Amino acid sequence: MSDALRVRDVRVELGGQRVLEDVSFDVARGEFCCLCGPNGGGKTTLLKAALGLAPLTGGRIEVLGRAPALARREVGYLPQAKGFNPGFPARAVELILANQRGAWPLRVSAAERELARAALARVGGERLLDAPLRGLSGGETQRVFLARAIVNDPALLLLDEPTAGVDARGRGEFLDLLAGVAARDDVAAVLVTHNAAAARRLADRVVYLECRVRAWGPPAEVLDREWDKDAFHGRDHAAPPDPSCEEE
Amino acid sequence: MGELLEALVSPLGQGFVRRALAAGITLGAAGSLLGVFIVQRGLGLLSDGLAHATFGGLALGLLLGASVDRAIWVALPFTVGIALGIQYVRRHTRLGGDVATGVFFAVSFAAGILFLGLRSARSAPVNVDALLFGSLLAVSPEALFVILAVAVLVVVVLAWIGPRLAYATFDPELATLSGVPVATLEYVLLALTALVVVVGVKTVGVVLVSAFVVVPAATANLVGRSLASIAVIAVALSVGGTAFGLFASYHLNVATGATIILTLGACFFLALVARRR
Repeated sequence: MSDALRVRDVRVELGGQRVLEDVSFDVARGEFCCLCGPNGGGKTTLLKAALGLAPLTGGRIEVLGRAPALARREVGYLPQAKGFNPGFPARAVELILANQRGAWPLRVSAAERELARAALARVGGERLLDAPLRGLSGGETQRVFLARAIVNDPALLLLDEPTAGVDARGRGEFLDLLAGVAARDDVAAVLVTHNAAAARRLADRVVYLECRVRAWGPPAEVLDREWDKDAFHGRDHAAPPDPSCEEE
Repeated sequence: MGELLEALVSPLGQGFVRRALAAGITLGAAGSLLGVFIVQRGLGLLSDGLAHATFGGLALGLLLGASVDRAIWVALPFTVGIALGIQYVRRHTRLGGDVATGVFFAVSFAAGILFLGLRSARSAPVNVDALLFGSLLAVSPEALFVILAVAVLVVVVLAWIGPRLAYATFDPELATLSGVPVATLEYVLLALTALVVVVGVKTVGVVLVSAFVVVPAATANLVGRSLASIAVIAVALSVGGTAFGLFASYHLNVATGATIILTLGACFFLALVARRR
C-alpha cells in the first residue's frame, strides 16, 4: 500500500524566492507527523504543495499514491489563516456539508444535517451546528473547520497550526481531540505546530523544516536537538542559515 | 383599498406599459439574482463599470452603421469582452477588482465618445440622453424578447452553477480543494452580469442599470440570514419595487427608471433602519 504522503526532492519558489529546497520525507498510513521549524521555514507552503495549491519548481509529491490535485477529496485540510468571506451568511452546518457536497448547500436534508451533526460531535462542537460562522470564537471556529476536515472520513489530515488563536483551555481541549486522531490507525496526519508539548504528545515522528529538512525522527530526539535550541532561544525569526533558501 | 389598487394598475390596459412591466421585472429579477453574488464579492462597482462599457459598445455599433436598436448586438460581445478583461486583470495581477473596473470603465467610455465623434456627418443623429438614461416605457417587442432570453439564460446557468459559485464566493481556496472550478465560474458570473447590464442599458440607461443589480441584493443582504433567503428577498424586492416604481411614475408623470431606482433605494434605507433596531 502506498504511503499517505511521499515528498521527494521538492523545491518551491514563491515570488522569486526559494521557500523549499530538496525536501524529502514520507508519512506512512496511520502515522502522525509533526512539521516543526521557525517561521518562514516553509511548513505552510509544504502543506499547500501537498494540496496542489502551490506549484512545485522541482521534485514531486504523491498523496495516497496520486498527484495532489487528484487526491484532494480524500484529504482533510484545516487551514491556519481562515480566508473565508466574513460577510457571507454561513452557518457551521453549511460549511461542513459544502466539503461533503463540493457545493454550497442551499437546502439541507435531514440525513445531511445528521452527517454534519455527527462530524461536529466528534470534535465536541455539536451545539455549534446552526451557529453563524461570523459570531464564533477562535476555538469554536477551529472546531467547525476540523469537523469540516473530517466529514469525508479522510485518509490524510493536513492541520496547519490548529491551536493558533485559541486560548489555553481551548488549546488543551483541541490537543485532546487531535490525540484521538493520533490514536487511529486508519488516518495519517501532518500537523504544523510551534507547540513543542503538542509535538511531543502527538507525533510518531517530527520533521524539522527550515527550507530544507534539517532533522527528522522521533519527537524527543529531534526536538531536543533542533527546536529547543532554536525556537526557545531567539532563533525563531532569524534568517535561515542556508544561503540558497530565503524566508517566505 | 381595492379601488386604489385598481386605479394604480389601470395603466396595464396599454400595451407599452405591459411590455415595460414585463421588461422591468424580468430584468430586475435576473439582475438581483446575479447581484447576490456580486455584492457578496464586494464587486458593487463592477456593474456600473460594465454599464459604461456598454456605452462604448453601443457607440461602436452606431459607428459601424447599426441603428440604436441593433447596436445592442455589437454592445453584447463588446461588454462581455470587457467583463472578461476585468476578470483577467483581477486574477493575473495584483490590482484589485475596483482598479481593473475603473481602468476598463474609463477607456470604454472614452472610446464610446470617440466612436460617436467618428461617425459621418450624414449619419442619423443619436440621442445620447436616451443611451445614458434609457426609456423603459419605450421597450419594443424585439427588445423585450432579448431581455426575456437573457433572463432565462441567467436563471438556467445560475441554477446549474449557483451552489458551486456560492462556495467559491465563501472561500475560493476551500472551494478549489472541493473540486470547484473557481476561475471558470468567476468568468461566467462576469459574462452573465455583462449580458444583463447590456440589455438593462436599453431600458433604464447607463447611469441607473447597475442599481438593478446592486441595490436589491444589498438590501436583502441586510436582512437575509442565509444565501437562499437573500436571493428570494432580492428577487421579491426587485420585482415589487419595479412594479411599484413603474406605476407610480406613470401616475406622477415622472421619469420611470429614476422612480424605480428611488423605490429600490427607499427599501434599502428602510432595511438599514430596521436592521439597526
